Amino acid sequence: MSEMNFDQVLDCKGMNCPLPVIKTKKAIDTMDSGQVLKMIATDPGSKNDISAWASRTGHELLINEQTDEGYVFFIKKK
Amino acid sequence: MLTPYSANELFNWLRQKDDFLLLDVRNEEDFGRFQVESPYKVHMLNVPYFDFMEEEEASVAKVPRNKKIKVVCAKEGSAQYVGEILESHGFDDVGYLKEGIVSWGNMLAPVRVNDEGEAYEVWQFIRPGKASLSWGLISEGELSIFDPSRNLEFYEEFAAEHGCKITQTFETHLQADYISGSRFISKATGSKVFGHSGDFMGASFDYTAVQNGDIFKASPKGPDIEVVHSPGHTPGSTCYKIDDTYVVSGDTIFLVSLGRPDLGGKAVEWAGMLYETMTKKIRTMDPTLQILPGHYIEWAEADENLVFMDTLQNILDSNAAIYGISSEADFVEFIKQNIRKQPDVYAEIRKVNAGWLDPEDDEQSSMDLGKNECAASAYAAQQSA
Repeated sequence: MSEMNFDQVLDCKGMNCPLPVIKTKKAIDTMDSGQVLKMIATDPGSKNDISAWASRTGHELLINEQTDEGYVFFIKKK
Repeated sequence: MLTPYSANELFNWLRQKDDFLLLDVRNEEDFGRFQVESPYKVHMLNVPYFDFMEEEEASVAKVPRNKKIKVVCAKEGSAQYVGEILESHGFDDVGYLKEGIVSWGNMLAPVRVNDEGEAYEVWQFIRPGKASLSWGLISEGELSIFDPSRNLEFYEEFAAEHGCKITQTFETHLQADYISGSRFISKATGSKVFGHSGDFMGASFDYTAVQNGDIFKASPKGPDIEVVHSPGHTPGSTCYKIDDTYVVSGDTIFLVSLGRPDLGGKAVEWAGMLYETMTKKIRTMDPTLQILPGHYIEWAEADENLVFMDTLQNILDSNAAIYGISSEADFVEFIKQNIRKQPDVYAEIRKVNAGWLDPEDDEQSSMDLGKNECAASAYAAQQSA
């Protein structure tokens, strides 16, 4: 599992879509440009959704991987 | 009020050519990979749910005001989410697909094939999400199913509605593109499973091995079901001839193609087998037989009642580019030209169908999603088009 520094962590385990993306958006909205959010989800749909949402909004998806914990995302706010 | 609808309701609206907008709110990648395919033209729009989240006004503006809106998403939560946004903008006829696109992927639609009043009933079960077909034969209250998918609930309800009992299921081959329902149906109802040992040898469940020329009965006084071993798509591929009238052809004969022999990883060897089947078994059959295939490629192949069936003669005549090839070398070359990658999940599905793997229900649903890739011919033509 990759690890890197992050500024906030958001646990979306057990939530179904659209909640992981909605909560991620809300968390990102409170952060400053350049800060990194770590988000963990268990909904398999979040893998492609977060990636599509990030490319749509311009936030940088640094890591998108599947671990024992779930799907782990590191997102850098634009 | 936001109204839930089922995949079967959606299919009926599509079938009746109802006027509505199908709004798919999944991300573009998932939408591109798999989407609702309608027998007729349908107004479909893909706007991901997170677009509604990011730019509500602009996204809502993309949705036409004068239509009923049917929202589709992966599971159903995002469709509800978007549905609520649309309602808050004054849309008053909005529905969301219950259980999401997976329920569309699993849905089966029954169509009666032969006329009312015949001694036995032939049924086609279309699975639009897979472009695959299973077939039913009802005789004296007994239902035989050919190539059932894993939608046990549907087949049990169908049997109950028609006052019959599922007594046996026939596998035309070890499927690679979808999870077979025979094992589950057998477990639930005690029905017998038939298949060819060329594919099913070593399977973890009980089955009756069929051989070329065997004749089974649909019911004690019912029509004959004759086994025609037709190797090529797989070594154990088998057609079942019903009452010398219909042939359940599995992935051996399609209405506009043949079943590709390269899925097993031995393209040349299996293409040779398929050539022999084509020349010695298919071309020598009674040309008036009605072929009932395991898949279709396009909805256009169906007749006005959405039945995918044609005479062998018509199939041979209209697909001369394959069925007319007159040397094994040319045939093998044709197959080689048309080889394309198969979905990675096919290897796993084969193991499930042999009973060697038994994944969780959710996992099976996700393995089972997506249109099939079983036909031999169209690929090269599409690539050059």
